[in-house]
Amino acid sequence: MWAEKYRPKTLDEMVNQKEIVERLKSFVKSKNVPHCIFAGPPGTGKTTAALCLARDLYGDVYREHLMELNASDERGINVVRETVKTFARARSIGEIPFKIMILDESDNMTADAQQALRRTMERYTETCRFILCANYSGKIIEPIQSRCAPFRFTFLPREEHDKYLKHIAEKENVKLLKDGLDAIFEVCSGDLRKAINTLQAAASLNKTVDAKVVYSIAGRAHPADVQKMIEIAMNGNFIEARKHLRDMIQKYGVAGSDIIRQIHTEIFRSSIPELWKIKLADIVGEIDYRLVEGADEEVQLSALLARLVEAGYELKKAS
Amino acid sequence: MHAAWTLKYKPKSLVEVVGNKEAIQQLVDWIKSWDKGIPKKRAAFLYGPPGIGKTVTVEALTADLKMELVEKNASDYRTEEAVKRFAGLASQFGSLFGGKRLVLLDELDGLTGTADKGGVGAITEIIKIAQCPVVLIANNPYDPRFTNLRNYCLLIEFKKPSASEVMKRLKVICETEGIKAEESALKFIAQRSNGDVRSAINDLQALAQGKKALAYEDVSWLGYRDRQETIFNVLRLIFYGKTCQGAKQAADMADVDIDMLFEWIYENVSAHLTDPSDLAKAMDSLSIADLYRGRIRSTQDWSFTRYVIDYMTAGVAMARQNTETHGWIPFKFPERIQMLSRSKTERAMQLSIGYKIKRKCHISANRASKEILPYLKIIFRNNPHMAAGIAKWLDLDIEMVNYLAESKKNADIIAQLLS
Repeated sequence: MWAEKYRPKTLDEMVNQKEIVERLKSFVKSKNVPHCIFAGPPGTGKTTAALCLARDLYGDVYREHLMELNASDERGINVVRETVKTFARARSIGEIPFKIMILDESDNMTADAQQALRRTMERYTETCRFILCANYSGKIIEPIQSRCAPFRFTFLPREEHDKYLKHIAEKENVKLLKDGLDAIFEVCSGDLRKAINTLQAAASLNKTVDAKVVYSIAGRAHPADVQKMIEIAMNGNFIEARKHLRDMIQKYGVAGSDIIRQIHTEIFRSSIPELWKIKLADIVGEIDYRLVEGADEEVQLSALLARLVEAGYELKKAS
Repeated sequence: MHAAWTLKYKPKSLVEVVGNKEAIQQLVDWIKSWDKGIPKKRAAFLYGPPGIGKTVTVEALTADLKMELVEKNASDYRTEEAVKRFAGLASQFGSLFGGKRLVLLDELDGLTGTADKGGVGAITEIIKIAQCPVVLIANNPYDPRFTNLRNYCLLIEFKKPSASEVMKRLKVICETEGIKAEESALKFIAQRSNGDVRSAINDLQALAQGKKALAYEDVSWLGYRDRQETIFNVLRLIFYGKTCQGAKQAADMADVDIDMLFEWIYENVSAHLTDPSDLAKAMDSLSIADLYRGRIRSTQDWSFTRYVIDYMTAGVAMARQNTETHGWIPFKFPERIQMLSRSKTERAMQLSIGYKIKRKCHISANRASKEILPYLKIIFRNNPHMAAGIAKWLDLDIEMVNYLAESKKNADIIAQLLS
């Protein structure tokens, strides 16, 4: 898998998130790391940054000082009580007195598990530092947030995204055309993991990657698309639109933040009256904020769909 | 010394009886008609649900009119013989001491079985020739056994007193006991009793005795546990509720937990609130309710649960403004929950591939199975060489390759490349 093959190994190799990388480098220099929260949308380098930090800190034997745990696979309180605690309390041998625990997708941890984690973090600070990766930091309980240094990851800017994909295409002998690159950015909107996966899947069909191939891949990977969902909602069929949404989230695992960003883009692209666009943007913003505060993705987004149904109805009445 | 309040506050006079003013007047008029000679109907048949003051009324009446009360209940007239034993009492106009007499036959419903048949027959006979007023009391006067008996009786219906009438009585009791009670607390007890004054007074005693004050919080926990409703009735109360309080109480009645109730409402709201603007309002309420769930999760402050309930019940109920109610719309089981239990095998396969991806790609098996798997499928169906490389790197077994490649032909080519 190219996404793994071309994952940066050291902080120096990381092309994006410049300020974050600089701060992490200073941790390496001082050989001290606080507990951290890496928050941001998927595919922006949170896990990569954590891994690079560990490698720079411990050298090639970094695996001995590192544990990775995925909260969405093992999110119960027992994991924190047993696995995490056992790892955290054992002393590290070597120059650096602490180990690093990466808790990926930690916003999926149950509240109980987070409470248990909070005590573990406090008790074993000397022997273990935690890096919590999360899409929404709002889903992490406040006592943990206050114990961590926050890092906010943002989507890759266009140039860096392009540079990275071009580099991979070159190495893999794939001809990546300009419109293909544009299409990837549009489909993946800066999620680098998704972009690389799309590139690889496209390349598996054709050695030359153009917009057509990219869209066909995107269509096959995520058949339920946002544009269609908006259309259905504006035509007044809430239940059908919600079904699309549900498929997107449950079957194809599209992140809520992705969907809402696409809705936002679509609204300004569509033919609805200008006054309504700004009205809807306000609602989209409110729902986005509620997502950040830790609410359920499907419920929030279908509340937005209901607004679109209402908007569609009002427009029809006016015309 | 704690006497039962139902006894302590038993009405001593008719004016203290809760509700049923009409029925009482009817009874008083009938009794007074005896002064002018024996009326057509020599017995009055009082009926109505339990605990609403039928017996108490008769007792208060005889006290007010200084009559002698001869009270008998079911166990006293189970058989013909037993009835005859006091038949003589009713055959005399007055008592030995010169006062007027009233014979009360309570709990007529208690007569059951064949042995009692004689009982009802004998009672009918006594009434026909009674020389003093006879009052009968039962819950259901239309029981076939009473068919003949009814012909000789004046039927007087007692109705459930309203909550506000019950409340008035509770207020008097609290004042006498020196308890400062919140209006809302008494209202809650009164409403919950559903017109049963006796049970309302019992509840009040259980909750308030020995206290100086009674607050709503002291009584609300009583809930409606003994009157639990099915999920469908609860949903109906929420979707068609006219008051916030009613919709909120529905949540207490539900036999499912708050999160499950939320799913039920979320699933069905669009079918019951069809007007687009009503639906948007209702969905916004659910969205806010859900937001509070998020806040509970991050702050661990469970007292926010009350706002979750406010928005998911009252918020949804109040959204109904334009939707017209027509016909019966069935309720659907939450599809979101159903979806999770469906296609288990496929998800298991996806997840096991997810675990293989996880080992190499620093991503959870869950997310890998959703986010990376679709791309793998495309690769495995179209490019056996690339697929074989990935299969080897991820250490996929033959079943997983078959699943991803979909067709046997593709899978075979990949397998050949692997060996």
